[in-house]
Amino acid sequence: MSSQHSSVEEQAKHHKHEGPKKHIIGFIMSILLTIIAFSMVAAGEINTTFIYIFLVLMACVQVFIQMGFWMHMKDRGHLYPIIGILMGVFVVFTIVIMAEYWAWW
Amino acid sequence: MSAHSHVDGQLPHEPEKATLEGRNKVLGFWLFLGAETVLFGTLFSAFLALRHQVGDGNPSGQELFELSTTAWATFILLTSSLTSVFAIQSMHTNKVKSMIVWLIITILLGLGFLGLEIVEFANYVDEGHKFSTSAFSTSFYTLVGFHGAHVLFGILWIGILIAQIFKKGLNVTTAPKIYVAGIYWHFIDVVWVFIFTVVYLMGKVG
Repeated sequence: MSSQHSSVEEQAKHHKHEGPKKHIIGFIMSILLTIIAFSMVAAGEINTTFIYIFLVLMACVQVFIQMGFWMHMKDRGHLYPIIGILMGVFVVFTIVIMAEYWAWW
Repeated sequence: MSAHSHVDGQLPHEPEKATLEGRNKVLGFWLFLGAETVLFGTLFSAFLALRHQVGDGNPSGQELFELSTTAWATFILLTSSLTSVFAIQSMHTNKVKSMIVWLIITILLGLGFLGLEIVEFANYVDEGHKFSTSAFSTSFYTLVGFHGAHVLFGILWIGILIAQIFKKGLNVTTAPKIYVAGIYWHFIDVVWVFIFTVVYLMGKVG
């Protein structure tokens, strides 16, 4: 039993399993970005266009962090997942642009 | 079922990628997420186009939304994403018990998020913000409600997976399911990041 346990640990070391550290850093970064975004809105009296751009930027940064850290996208062998999700994002981008700048013109 | 049997019931590291079936499951799920992205994108675009169409005397987002509720919901969902990633890490180090514990915590946080959302919606209805009140209310409930439905589905899904783990244990067949459910849960969180930004924060700004 003990020998099995040590071999598992050895293999684990060999495979370089990530500890929770990176995920906790990602979590703290996400929380910080969220707090910044919320406090910007709570503070009020800031130029509307600026705050819109700022908020979307904050969201995009947070999504990159979450996808990289938590959805394992920065790990090896994720080329096809990245292509798949990027195709989705591309379509979304065109749809949203259409709705925002076209529908009411 | 497994491609190569493991001595003493040991699992390979990254058991979700040990078989071709497992790898295909993960890849297929990413393509599904690409389609989900488009689905939510259409709902977002509808909301963006209609969010100012409140009509006469109906409550606007600026009047309705309370930042503290949204902040709590965000915090709960972010934390549940962290606990689900801990579950996957426990799976990678073959600690089945701690994996199940983390999955249960994830489910509980998801239920907390849903509870907050239900109370929030009930309050809105009391304030005269019903599904068919205005173009704004319809697109709001469709977008946020669809996300809530995804959370509910995730809770049921992970709950069933836990039951299956109890029954069949962690092996190269069940591991990809857990991994894929983890990715799904993160995706829900990613969608929520855009919801609290576009719907609530931008709605509060005006």
